[in-house]
Amino acid sequence: MKKWLRLVTAAVALALAPTAAHAHLVDTRLGDFYSGALHPLTDLQQVLPWIALAVLAAFQGAQRARWIILVFPLALAAGGLVSLEVPLPSFGPVLGLVLVAVTGLAVAAAARLPLGVLLGVAVVMGLLHGAQNGAAMVATTDRVLFLSGMTAIGYGVITLATGSAIAFLRGAAWRPIALRAGGSWVAAVGIMVLGLNLARPIAG
Amino acid sequence: MKRDFPDAALPLALLMAAIPLSPAFAHTGTGVALGLESGFLHPLTGLDHLVAMVAVGLWGAQLGNPAIWVLPITFPLVMAVGGLIGLSGIDLPFVELIIAFSGIALGAMVAFSVRPPLWVAATLVGVFAIFHGYAHGRELPEAADAVSFAVGFVVATGLLHLSGILIGVLVGYEAGAKVVRACGAAIGCVGLYFLLGAVGFIE
Repeated sequence: MKKWLRLVTAAVALALAPTAAHAHLVDTRLGDFYSGALHPLTDLQQVLPWIALAVLAAFQGAQRARWIILVFPLALAAGGLVSLEVPLPSFGPVLGLVLVAVTGLAVAAAARLPLGVLLGVAVVMGLLHGAQNGAAMVATTDRVLFLSGMTAIGYGVITLATGSAIAFLRGAAWRPIALRAGGSWVAAVGIMVLGLNLARPIAG
Repeated sequence: MKRDFPDAALPLALLMAAIPLSPAFAHTGTGVALGLESGFLHPLTGLDHLVAMVAVGLWGAQLGNPAIWVLPITFPLVMAVGGLIGLSGIDLPFVELIIAFSGIALGAMVAFSVRPPLWVAATLVGVFAIFHGYAHGRELPEAADAVSFAVGFVVATGLLHLSGILIGVLVGYEAGAKVVRACGAAIGCVGLYFLLGAVGFIE
């Protein structure tokens, strides 16, 4: 092996050393935006029903599903704003788990819902999750940035998930079945954790 | 003076590159991560659970449409009911025996290529699902994060069904159908082993 080749290979190997990358985003001026964006993503109790809602919307067809992309992030933002004035209701955790179970069951059944019902579920889910995330802000949190981040990630996730589900459904006959199986998984999680919550309430 | 690049430089550089410069955390698996991990491993580390889940997929594939999707979709939902029974504190009798027996019964169905009406197959699988869910549900309150534990074990269960379905696709071939039936026989034997263990014949 030539000397220069060995030098370059050694340099590349050292450059690929597995160090942790710290971008220090939390210390930048936009730190609370990222905090708001990441907060719902760290809670499966929120991410799961978001994806289930997107898949449920996809089962209603692209034309109806488009409404979710508009309504859900707005409800999320509204929930966050409401949390600034109104404390989180005590039934919040139970309602959140009911939403996991209900959206999962609806996906498992590939339910065809009236648009009003679909949007109603999206509004309730958005308001609740917006309020739950908003309640996590502390005195030093930049509220505008936090709520903007939360709304942006809600928009991003629901748009990507809905679009992906609509595209996925266009194809072989097994594809809706795969999504329905996923819905049954979400429903099973919701039912069991709801049961646990009712038997032994957990903080949420 | 001309100095050659030593031959040991490259391996040394590779060795240095492989050493993580970030701190090693011995217990990163807290909260969501630990719940997901322990939940995911729960059905995989219990061979009696594992073979029964694979058998559901195998039998569904063997029975064909609509059983191939009805059984794996209904199983998690009925399993959730079993989980609720476990959470409620109700004591179901003979849980270990019936879980072991589920391996024998489902393995036998696959091995002998039994083709009952769909409702019979769904009922049989549903009864077993209640007992499997009950066993998982008893673990749920002890989990670090109940939601992630439930997600972990439901996903693992679903993937085991999928594994069974994918193996079961072999029924489309003459030799493959025999392989699938042999898998059923093997599952039945594993179930028998656990049954003998549950009644005390095997330590």
